Amino acid sequence: MNILLQQVTIADPHSPYHGMVKDVLVIDGVIAQISDAISSHGVDTVLPGLTVSPGWVDIFSHFCDPGFEYRETLETGAAAAAAGGYTQVFALPNTSPAIQNKPQAEYVVHKSTALPLTIHPLGAVTKGLEGKDLAEMYDMYAGGAIAFTDGIFPVQSAGVLVKALQYVKAFNGVIIQLPQDKSMGQHGLMNEGVVSTQLGLPGIPAIAEELIIQRDIELLAYAGSRLHITGVSTAKGLQLIKNAKEAGLDITCSVTPYHLFFCDEDLQTYDTNLKVNPPLRTRQDMLLLREGVKNGWVDCIASHHIPQNWDGKTCEFEYAKNGMLGLQTAFAAVNTAVPGLTNTALANMFSLNARRIFNLPLPTVQEGAAAELTFFNTQETFVLQNENILSKSHNSAFTNVPLQGKVHGITAKGATVLNK
Amino acid sequence: MKLSTQHLLGIKDLQPEDISLILSTAEQFKDVLQRPVKKVPSLRDVTIVNLFFENSTRTRMSFELAERRLSADTLNFTASASSVAKGETMLDTVNNILSMKVDMVVMRHSASGAPHFLAKHINAAIVNAGDGINEHPTQALLDAFSMREKTGRLQGLKVAIIGDIMHSRVALSNIYLLNKMGAEVTVAGPPTLIPKYIEQALNVRVEYNVKKALQWCDVANVLRIQLERQNQPLFSSLREYSLAYGINRRLLESLGKEIVVMHPGPINRGVELDSDVADGPSSIILNQVENGVAVRMAVLYLLANREN
Repeated sequence: MNILLQQVTIADPHSPYHGMVKDVLVIDGVIAQISDAISSHGVDTVLPGLTVSPGWVDIFSHFCDPGFEYRETLETGAAAAAAGGYTQVFALPNTSPAIQNKPQAEYVVHKSTALPLTIHPLGAVTKGLEGKDLAEMYDMYAGGAIAFTDGIFPVQSAGVLVKALQYVKAFNGVIIQLPQDKSMGQHGLMNEGVVSTQLGLPGIPAIAEELIIQRDIELLAYAGSRLHITGVSTAKGLQLIKNAKEAGLDITCSVTPYHLFFCDEDLQTYDTNLKVNPPLRTRQDMLLLREGVKNGWVDCIASHHIPQNWDGKTCEFEYAKNGMLGLQTAFAAVNTAVPGLTNTALANMFSLNARRIFNLPLPTVQEGAAAELTFFNTQETFVLQNENILSKSHNSAFTNVPLQGKVHGITAKGATVLNK
Repeated sequence: MKLSTQHLLGIKDLQPEDISLILSTAEQFKDVLQRPVKKVPSLRDVTIVNLFFENSTRTRMSFELAERRLSADTLNFTASASSVAKGETMLDTVNNILSMKVDMVVMRHSASGAPHFLAKHINAAIVNAGDGINEHPTQALLDAFSMREKTGRLQGLKVAIIGDIMHSRVALSNIYLLNKMGAEVTVAGPPTLIPKYIEQALNVRVEYNVKKALQWCDVANVLRIQLERQNQPLFSSLREYSLAYGINRRLLESLGKEIVVMHPGPINRGVELDSDVADGPSSIILNQVENGVAVRMAVLYLLANREN
């Protein structure tokens, strides 16, 4: 299989061709040639006029496998990820059983070897994701766990988290936390604020996030370890992380596409697809997160792809499950919410920063390199239609919403997946 | 005249003209209720189901009576005695009932937004009889009707809503209605029971001292302390609540002015309201109950969209 990318813009700050428009020929998974004009004679597929970047990485996706295969499997999740331009995805440990030991981690690794992209298991920080006793992180690391998190159940105990932060230093590991202090707004269904008061829905205050970010920063400073906060939803939370970075701590963060695109005002119709955790915050928070993406305070985009089946969303708002699909719409949503990002910024936020944080290889767009690439176009319109959703679940608030920016496909592990 | 909405999901969605129309229609029905024959044939071929996913006695009885006075056929559904206990979803339950050719749904539910969800999925007029901590629109309408009946106006009326504002759908609906009709609202109660953003969100004053609120107001709408809605301790004890926020005759007499006292019921006597106030001359609590039937008749009649 060979592909010719004609007149593509190369978005890869590590490539000597960064920012240039070239023809790129990929033969059998290797970048065979880059030059001004390559003949398309004998080429299987020709893709003109796109942008190419090192393959994208998503650090927080729920593939529900094993245990909740009616919502998603590693295979369907991988299909959605490939369509979204991802060549590497980190799968949450919130499965049943949880990914809390080496065999569970290896299950994910082995089951994804035949897939066109790489799925890395995220190992649990605590046994059974209960937030009490440390899971076997060292062994899971040996079994392929890329980082450690209790996923959608963030570690609440400071004593446990500090031990986890210390423990992973032995292998330069990273702890990922979703920022939420569950003792505040524990019955909340959306952001606490003007809109929740008007809608008569119990709120989750911003301070529930800010407190735990502040606490975790202190624990990180004490432990001298590595921490990644994912799904930052408040302006102040992002500011705290920025300050901690400037103070020299090894802290990084990610935001979701939907926190950049929606805010609590969008909940007026009680749309259960917008019930997510952390909740959609105020318009001001959303605008500040967008600024954070523009000026580099945000390290990565994390899709927070959380499939929920029909029953989990077609019900009263209070009973609806948290989460939204994210992989297929991540790029278009971000590109629409924060238009005009440079190619360098896109490459960093969708690929390179995550690779640096989590010690993954940096594929480079240069001749002779293995091709791990994402092809996209920032100008084309993309509309996710229900019938084009590749996940098993369909809980997306982006369905039928015109977005700007389209992913055309990926090439990785010697295979190419192209969107229609 | 017609309502601008197909359902009554909340006061939030109504125009001031809708509220005026409901109140004036209710006046006509109140006249009907004073006659020897208290029944009109207006909704003779309409079937209404009262879907109560949460316990209720007086609201359900009031709706039922209103429906019967309008000659509608009624059907009662209570969650505890139903398939919900067997795990059926609300949508299944409602669709099953609608398959029996029901025209209107009166629904109470413990989840905020439940009637809005239903309105997206079924094709029948829905009357919200209380959803979670969101709205209780017919209660606000009957409260407004009673206030107007007693004081002669809503415009410029000063209303204090006292008690557990945070968990009260009565408070939220009342605030929306009173704001739309030009009244002024102060909410009073313990700070832990008043939503943090309520001043910005709903354009009301906040007062933590009940006496000051009473001195300011023309009408005091005293809410029930809803222990069943509180998920965590928000005040220390009923005794202390009663000492700090309870309304008794001595407090009323110390105001040096007459105010109207209301309560949506059921009253925790001796907690938020003492018996000598609840049963005293300032109280219009039983008028509220009586007006409730007329107001609900008006709502059902207008939503059924019958021309005179």
